Amino acid sequence: MAFILSNIVSKTCVKSLEDKLLALSISASGTQIRERHIMNPPPRLRNPTWFTKKHRVVHNDEITTDNQEFVKEVVQDKYSNKDESPLLSEIAANAAEWQPTFKRTGVIARKIGIYPIWMKDGTKMTTTLLQVLDNHVIKYYTPEEYENSQPNKTRVMKKKGCLLLGAEGTDPSLLTKEYCGLFKNSGVIPKKFLARFFVSPDAALPPGTPINALHFQVGNFVDVRGKTIDRGFQGVMKRHGFKGMPASHGVTKTHRRGGNIGGGGEKARVWPGTKMPGHMGNRYRVLKGLKIWRINTKYNVLYVSGQNVPGDTNSIVTIYDTILPLRKPSNPVPFPTYLNTDEIHEEDLYDDDVHQFCDPTIEYNET
Amino acid sequence: MLSFISKKSNSIASNTRNFLRHSTSSQALKPTEEVNSSNNKPKDGRKSYAEFRHIYPEFLPDPKIEFRNSIREKLERSDMIARRTLIDIPEFYVGTIMAVTVSDKHTPGKPLRFVGICIKREGCGLRSTFILRNVVDHQGVEVMYELYDPTIQKIEVLRLEKRLDDELLYLRDSLSEFSTFDSNMEAEILAEGTPVPVNPIKVQLKPRPWLERWERKNLKGVEKIDLPEKFFKRAAELAKPYEKYDLMKQYMGTIPEEEQNEIFAEIQSQLHKLEVTRKKMKRKRTFVKPTKLA
Repeated sequence: MAFILSNIVSKTCVKSLEDKLLALSISASGTQIRERHIMNPPPRLRNPTWFTKKHRVVHNDEITTDNQEFVKEVVQDKYSNKDESPLLSEIAANAAEWQPTFKRTGVIARKIGIYPIWMKDGTKMTTTLLQVLDNHVIKYYTPEEYENSQPNKTRVMKKKGCLLLGAEGTDPSLLTKEYCGLFKNSGVIPKKFLARFFVSPDAALPPGTPINALHFQVGNFVDVRGKTIDRGFQGVMKRHGFKGMPASHGVTKTHRRGGNIGGGGEKARVWPGTKMPGHMGNRYRVLKGLKIWRINTKYNVLYVSGQNVPGDTNSIVTIYDTILPLRKPSNPVPFPTYLNTDEIHEEDLYDDDVHQFCDPTIEYNET
Repeated sequence: MLSFISKKSNSIASNTRNFLRHSTSSQALKPTEEVNSSNNKPKDGRKSYAEFRHIYPEFLPDPKIEFRNSIREKLERSDMIARRTLIDIPEFYVGTIMAVTVSDKHTPGKPLRFVGICIKREGCGLRSTFILRNVVDHQGVEVMYELYDPTIQKIEVLRLEKRLDDELLYLRDSLSEFSTFDSNMEAEILAEGTPVPVNPIKVQLKPRPWLERWERKNLKGVEKIDLPEKFFKRAAELAKPYEKYDLMKQYMGTIPEEEQNEIFAEIQSQLHKLEVTRKKMKRKRTFVKPTKLA
């Protein structure tokens, strides 16, 4: 009897607890709680799923040359099979037609240097050469699947999917198991560099799709994102372009200093954002609206205007279609990417205004 | 520098081979000096790569390692060759008297021709430039031309020679007679196979003030400078005579010989073709102008 009673009591207890919890949850969702709450929730410190340890510690295993060759053979066998790579014609057949509102994927490229080109009217222009590396799609996250590691401050109405791209294939035996695992489903050899690109769901590509320089067209505009040159801790003259102070005329100990950093009275403090000495460079910056003047199809090189693309020569940059509204393409662009591999191109594609080096000398005739 | 190395014993020859590199400055005066005649001499009597580096210095990339990229350099070279097949860019050095004809959009239909002495040649790849200087109506005039600028219609060498220095910027501070050249000057044709002559002329500088402190530059093509003793004392204090023994500095500032050979081997056949056409043109030119006797 006692046993039954206790059982009933415990059951009712559980029931009442459940009721209470239910009530709480309803109240939490429906009515306002008048108590102290956190305005800005702390950021969820979480890395994206592809952010794993990349390089493994390479020990001297003293493998014989025979075994080294065997490892190489295994790697070759594993990644040389072309069966898993998606049929490009199939993708092209299923692709939606390009619309100006669609957002395509970008590419990973390497800044390989700067050199001049001349226009047909004889003016000189400096261009930066960006070599599009062997880009392959690694993974596609649908808008529902993709969870941002940082909480969204503003609600995005048109949701974008996330395309993970890799570039520059490398020896997988130098990488960790987890990092190589990222490439498992794409059938692509593990890549040195990864980058994510937010695309409209119509512009999604299946894993393993290659992307080359013809993804862009001559005459279109691009944005280039790169990591600026690390200049270390710098003074205000170099960092913010201050004028400094005179070298002589009684000036002592203050030739390159910033001078005053604040006023008095109400403003008697250092205002946020005051330009002061500090670390300069080594941060990501985007240079927007660069025109593509020329494309080399043999080496996948884009010649874009400007000599101030962020980053050193030989550094990695990412190239996007421009977001500047007046420079967005009005004519159809290869969508979702350039897939026609059978088409034979000339080695160099030029903009109409560019003087080719094999053209005859520029002459101005009387009109 | 080169001679310094070659004097050393054979035991370190293999080590120093890496340092036998291109230098536009000190070696410019001895182009015929063969560094390694057996290895880098191309077949069938063509020019050796050691000669190429003096005739075509702009084909060698910037030695600064942070600016280098092999694919960019290759693309740049192919563009340079494409331009060179259209116009004849002759062999010239600092000290050569040249005439450049360019089309100017402000004078349509009338190309501009400027005659002057080359006082500086710098840059590499498509960015290479040279400066011509002349005195026109008692006024010194200098024009900087880009070697691969497509508005250049013609580059003529009127007198192929070298001077004692690598840069002739001191002509700006010397008497005007040393940088005055007749704009109607006729081209002097050197016999084939003769080495490029070195003009041992010594120019006289104007009294101070100058654009630079020329007494500190160790100039060979300048007559004795008339200055108080303290200027030379200071110049001796600031001189760096040990710098020519700095192998590392030389290594960082130049392209290794092996890389040079690689570069020139790639473009050698095209350069040879251009040279053949140039020779043909030269022969034609010499034939058209017979000297009148009687």
